[in-house]
Amino acid sequence: MFLNQFLFLSAVLFCIGVYGVLTRKNGVLVLMSIELILNAVNINMVAFGAFNADLGGQVFALFIIAVAAAEVGVGLAIVLLIYRNRRSIDITEADLMKG
Amino acid sequence: MFAAAAFPILPALIITPLITVAVLMLIPANRNSELKLAALVGTTITGMMSIWMLYAFEIADDGFQFAVNRVWLEELGLSWNLGVDGISLFLVVLTGILFPIAITATEPHHDPKQYYIWLTLLMSGSMGVFIALDLLLFFLFFEIVLVPMYFLIGGWGHGNRIHAALKFFLYTMAGSALMLVGIVSVAFLSQDATGGLTFDVVQLAEAQALSQTAQRLVFGSFALAFAVKVPLFPLHTWLPDAHTEAPTAGSVILAGVMLKLGTYGYLRFGIYLFPQAAHDLAWIFLTLGVIGIVYGAAVATMQRDLKRLVAYSSVAHLGFIALGMFVLNTQGIQGAVFQMVNHGISTGALFILVGWVYERRHTREIAALGGLQKSAPIMAGVFTLVMLSSIGLPGLNGFVGEFLILLGGFQGARWWTVIAVTGVILAALYLLWAYQRVFHGTPTEENASMPDLRLSEGLAILPLLVLIVFLGVYPKPMLERIEPAVERLVVHVEANVDGFEEPGPEQLPAEPATADDLTHTLEEAEAEAEAKEEAESLGGEG
Amino acid sequence: MSGTFVTLVAAEIERPSIDWHAIAPELILLGGGALVTVIDLIWLERVRKLIPTLTSLVFLVALIPVITLWADGSGLPRGLWIIDENVPATGVWEGAFVVDNYSLVLKGLFLLSAYVIVLLSTNYMSEGDYYDSEYYQLIAASVLGMLVMSSSRDLISIFVALELVSIPAYLMAAWRKRDLKSNEAGLKYMLMGVFASAILLYGMSLLYGIAGSTLLSDIAAAIDIGESRPVITLGIVFTIIGFGFKVSAVPFHTWAPDTYEGAPTPLTAFLAVASKAAGFVALINVVIVALPTQANVVEPFIWVLAAITMTVGNLIALRQTNLVRMLAYSGVAQAGYMLAPLAVYDGISDRATSAVVTYLVIYAAMNLGAFAVVIIAARKTRSAELSSYGGMFNYAPGLTLAMTIFLFSLAGIPPVGGWWAKFEVFRVLTEGNRTSGIALAVIAAVNSVIAAFYYLNIAKQMWFLPSPDGDNSRIAIPPALLAAVGLTVAATIVSGVLPGVVSDMTDFVNVAAGQ
Repeated sequence: MFLNQFLFLSAVLFCIGVYGVLTRKNGVLVLMSIELILNAVNINMVAFGAFNADLGGQVFALFIIAVAAAEVGVGLAIVLLIYRNRRSIDITEADLMKG
Repeated sequence: MFAAAAFPILPALIITPLITVAVLMLIPANRNSELKLAALVGTTITGMMSIWMLYAFEIADDGFQFAVNRVWLEELGLSWNLGVDGISLFLVVLTGILFPIAITATEPHHDPKQYYIWLTLLMSGSMGVFIALDLLLFFLFFEIVLVPMYFLIGGWGHGNRIHAALKFFLYTMAGSALMLVGIVSVAFLSQDATGGLTFDVVQLAEAQALSQTAQRLVFGSFALAFAVKVPLFPLHTWLPDAHTEAPTAGSVILAGVMLKLGTYGYLRFGIYLFPQAAHDLAWIFLTLGVIGIVYGAAVATMQRDLKRLVAYSSVAHLGFIALGMFVLNTQGIQGAVFQMVNHGISTGALFILVGWVYERRHTREIAALGGLQKSAPIMAGVFTLVMLSSIGLPGLNGFVGEFLILLGGFQGARWWTVIAVTGVILAALYLLWAYQRVFHGTPTEENASMPDLRLSEGLAILPLLVLIVFLGVYPKPMLERIEPAVERLVVHVEANVDGFEEPGPEQLPAEPATADDLTHTLEEAEAEAEAKEEAESLGGEG
Repeated sequence: MSGTFVTLVAAEIERPSIDWHAIAPELILLGGGALVTVIDLIWLERVRKLIPTLTSLVFLVALIPVITLWADGSGLPRGLWIIDENVPATGVWEGAFVVDNYSLVLKGLFLLSAYVIVLLSTNYMSEGDYYDSEYYQLIAASVLGMLVMSSSRDLISIFVALELVSIPAYLMAAWRKRDLKSNEAGLKYMLMGVFASAILLYGMSLLYGIAGSTLLSDIAAAIDIGESRPVITLGIVFTIIGFGFKVSAVPFHTWAPDTYEGAPTPLTAFLAVASKAAGFVALINVVIVALPTQANVVEPFIWVLAAITMTVGNLIALRQTNLVRMLAYSGVAQAGYMLAPLAVYDGISDRATSAVVTYLVIYAAMNLGAFAVVIIAARKTRSAELSSYGGMFNYAPGLTLAMTIFLFSLAGIPPVGGWWAKFEVFRVLTEGNRTSGIALAVIAAVNSVIAAFYYLNIAKQMWFLPSPDGDNSRIAIPPALLAAVGLTVAATIVSGVLPGVVSDMTDFVNVAAGQ
């Protein structure tokens, strides 16, 4: 089995995703970075599932894909709302409340 | 016992004020006189019941009387465990007497309904603190009394009242928050020895299951809470503010009842539960008490505000009480209990008098007053009597307490006591000087026209004056009721502290001991105790 | 471990019979929510006024099977399937869904909180001219997620339940479409929430990899190897961080104050109470069922989280001038107290669970009550600034008294509920007589004093200070809000004066693992 390679790939994806979330200012790009993390998770799940000869991992990955779609749907709706009201999706500008 | 067993007098002491609160809630807010009457009747009935207890109390019995024990939460061993012994009896009576007097003597300036509701709630809580024999129940009441007092100071106080109320609340809560951790710890640590989780003070005190370190830490958490409440130097800073800004009734209750929660706590829950730690750490409290005596007196001397002066005199008086308690002998503790009651009576009366002066003249500045003796001779006379009681003039109640404390102190903590004696002299100094400035001299126009005491006011303060004289001339009925319980406490300490014997005249060192000697002996005792414990633990392992 | 793909196909699949009674609360909520949606779609405007009533009825009806299951306690814990000797227990879902006393208490808590939230929302939503029927449908969906969460004993069902709780909440946070603050609230909550879910999933994937099963009890068995391995530690830490976001533990709390302030206030109450409770339930399920043997990893991590959460939350709350924000930070601090029992759960996991659940129940009552008062006051003052509460006693004495009860309860002053919750936490912390537990108890004690400062600050405004604009006209309190305040006041007082009522429900809580 080539479990290590899969895990390595997913770890790299995870790190890129976290880096993106922390540094990107554009709301859509932040959502995309989160998608990267979710894909890292999916790779892990499928790889572990195959390694352990267990169906659970693949089932879990399917659930994640479905739920992630819903999340992104809601997320993009909110980003769109922000864009309509502000004409910008720079999340660092959303700073009306502080303290 | 007589009918005492049949009638649950102790729950009644808590519940009667609560019923009064319910009645007060039903009376419309603008019916001032009806509200006052209801509050007065409710608190007086409670007071009468507490006085009846004096009569029904078995003098020779050193245990807890009128005991009531109802399970509240079984799995926790939590119960409504109430009882009174010689130590708490007079504090209960003091609470019972001071509340009706505080209500009669003063009027709220606004919102009488709320005011009386908070006062009667406060009475219920204060009673609860003194009669609870379950640690957790005690803690509940200890916390509950904060709330009405906070609203009384914040709502009806003077000047910087809101700040003072907050300071009062936070100081006390800071102490008691750690006490809750201590309470839970002691219950769990004693769990094996008491055969199940219990918060019953008597069982916990009998078990003595804590190791030395644990005992010191838990005692420390209790001691901190009580030290704030007493207050011991340097935790006293809330007291002058709270006293000065509080309405008169608030000051009376604060000084008369609530400060005693701390000193009573030391006796019932500090020394009784943790004799070893209390004995080992007694020097701290002796020192703080003596500092409080001297510091309180010195600062009182310098005050320009009459009420603040009385507040600082409380710090000094409470220092005496701390000294008496931590000598750990019968005279000292007996004197301390006696002095708790005295302080409640005389300082309560002083606050009432200052409150009346303030109502008439709208100032408490000593410099603005003067020559009041001419315009208000009766008030001056009353003030003289109360002041002399506070100073400790022989023949009045203050003398008996201070004398007993000093007597006990000389046997157990000679050098601390020597310094404490200076406090007696300072007390005479600042009170007489204040009296001189306020009542003597030529009155200004405003002071000359100040009305004297009204009959109703005279009647309100009369019970306190009677008590001052009665207890000074004939303290025996009170002392003989206090003594058995105190002796039991001292025996308990002797039994649970290795190598400790009650300091008494027979074992005074032939030569006068020095302070160094005393600390030395304390250290020795401590080292011995440690060595013994080590030996025991080694033996256990072997 | 379940069967492999091959065996599943080969075996003749027999359909096991479903335990309908056990999942009745969820089914009623699902059906009721769908029914409300359909009614709304068919009759539109004509039934708009009825929707909140219908939704609250659905919650109350869903409460019935919870009560009957509790009363019929003999069969507990029950799973999704009726166990039949003849049918071999196969299938991926076996043991993922467990109904026991613990989950029933929580289901009751969630349904009652949701009922109070609907009471709080009714006037707010209809007067604010927002989309109201959709709002209630989303609340029903979110509560459904909470019910499933309390029964979940499997990573997949925990994840799905958590998302079902969160996704509707993202939408509702941004409910005031034209309000920039509300938009911002929704955006921040959504981004942080989704990010947290992703981190959580990564941790779960590692745990799954080690155990080869998503079932919590299988994971517990698989990682009981008597030593700690980096990958297990990593999985645990990521998982707890993910839940840390949901329960707004410091340093993962940054979304909470902004979201609370910007979101519609009834929803803020929902997030602060029900959604947070759901996060705690998930955390308890994972920690207690899956990680009983990993206390050496979990405890120090949660210890640090709890200590800084309560301290930082309280210190920042001190500086707040907006009451909703102050309640948000106080909620952060309260989350610290709730985390505390999990910092010493080793060997006493039943007691720790019971302490957290007790805290959740009492916290729900007092915090919902506080938010109810905030909503009522805002009807008059149009503001949540602290100064706008000045002089409230003069024009709304009953409301002031109620708020004071909630504040003293939050501060932990007897005889109202909060003290009992705190006491339970202290009890667990000191029970094992461990230095770490007692140290945390001391930190919690010091914190409760800091907290008392700002709670009293609110009481001070209401009782002692004059109203800022001198307007002492009375507040008209609509019946729904009055009922909400009445219910929460009653619950707060009863739980403090008769703590036995709460402890009877929470004391024999133990989290049953799936079989």
